[in-house]
Amino acid sequence: MAEKPLSRFEQPIHQPGRRLLHHIPLRFVRRKVLGHGRKAANHEIPLIPFIDFLLCIVLFLLASFSATGELPIDKNVKLPSAENVMDMVEAPMVAITGSQILVDGVAAGNTRAIEEANRLQRIDELFNILKNKRELWKQINPGKEFPGVAVLQVDKRVPALVVKSVFQTAAFAGYPNISFMVGRLGKVE
Amino acid sequence: MAGIDAGGGGGGKRPVDHNIPLIPFIDFLLCLVAFLLVTAVWSQMARINADARVPGPPKDEPPEEQKKEKQLHVEMRGERKFQLVWKEGNTVVNTIDVDRKPVPIGEKGDITFPDLAKKINEEWTANGSHRAGSDKKFDQSVLHTDNSTQFSDVIAVIDAIYTPQRDFSFGGKTEKVPAFNVTFAVN
Repeated sequence: MAEKPLSRFEQPIHQPGRRLLHHIPLRFVRRKVLGHGRKAANHEIPLIPFIDFLLCIVLFLLASFSATGELPIDKNVKLPSAENVMDMVEAPMVAITGSQILVDGVAAGNTRAIEEANRLQRIDELFNILKNKRELWKQINPGKEFPGVAVLQVDKRVPALVVKSVFQTAAFAGYPNISFMVGRLGKVE
Repeated sequence: MAGIDAGGGGGGKRPVDHNIPLIPFIDFLLCLVAFLLVTAVWSQMARINADARVPGPPKDEPPEEQKKEKQLHVEMRGERKFQLVWKEGNTVVNTIDVDRKPVPIGEKGDITFPDLAKKINEEWTANGSHRAGSDKKFDQSVLHTDNSTQFSDVIAVIDAIYTPQRDFSFGGKTEKVPAFNVTFAVN
């Protein structure tokens, strides 16, 4: 009497070939997933190119990673653009929007008095806030030289008189290195 | 699974082959991509410098006697032209007129002054004093503007002043920086 062949669970060695999804009891489902004569419903992601792709994305994102984070820009400020620019630095941000002056988002005076007087003048509120910031920096960093850098975020329609007044006030408060925040334009050759 | 087959490891020794578990590795990469995408900064903000030229803190040593250097004064008060004036102290050395021709650039209504930029570049090439990479000083430019001039025009002129670039060595590295330092005239 011929021996009964071993079932697939008992055979230790199998013929090489695809195993996955071959034992689905419902025939129409099996056909569907295996794709006999039709387009297979299963797809395999080629892992090695996929990993290469992910590594490329990671490298690109790491290269463009900025530890300082996004710079806060006031919604009402429309900045001008320039070609010969430098990268941003971390420094107190003085924003001039409409008639308001803000230092790191905190109100620091008004430009109306300057416009009405039509002459260069010191803005006392701004001066005091910047001076306090400088003194705080010196307390936190004893023995270090104060960089004296402030960034002005000025709307493109603001008159030069206001810009010069803020510029001079910042200089008197101990911030002689002023940077104007601008958009970056591509260089035209 | 991706693996490294280094051979050996037989005879009861610890195997030296290693497999990278691909699925956790892909998960890790995806997490990294997600984190970097969330923290990515896409803004194109930059800065343009200006120097207030105020005296520094008092020092014990007597100040060095400074020789008068040539300064480029850029006069932008005229409606039709700019005036470039080279001055040594209060002495006017040379005056050049440049037509005021704004050229729109970009879609946000920004302007540039390419003629002014070209002329300033030529002037610095001919008269600039600080060119060497090791020179820590910069040529000085003073901007004279009308009180009612819009800030966008001021930036366009400062941008033109920064057109000439020179080498600057700092901390063993040499990079291109604007040849001029810009400050505002008070009056």
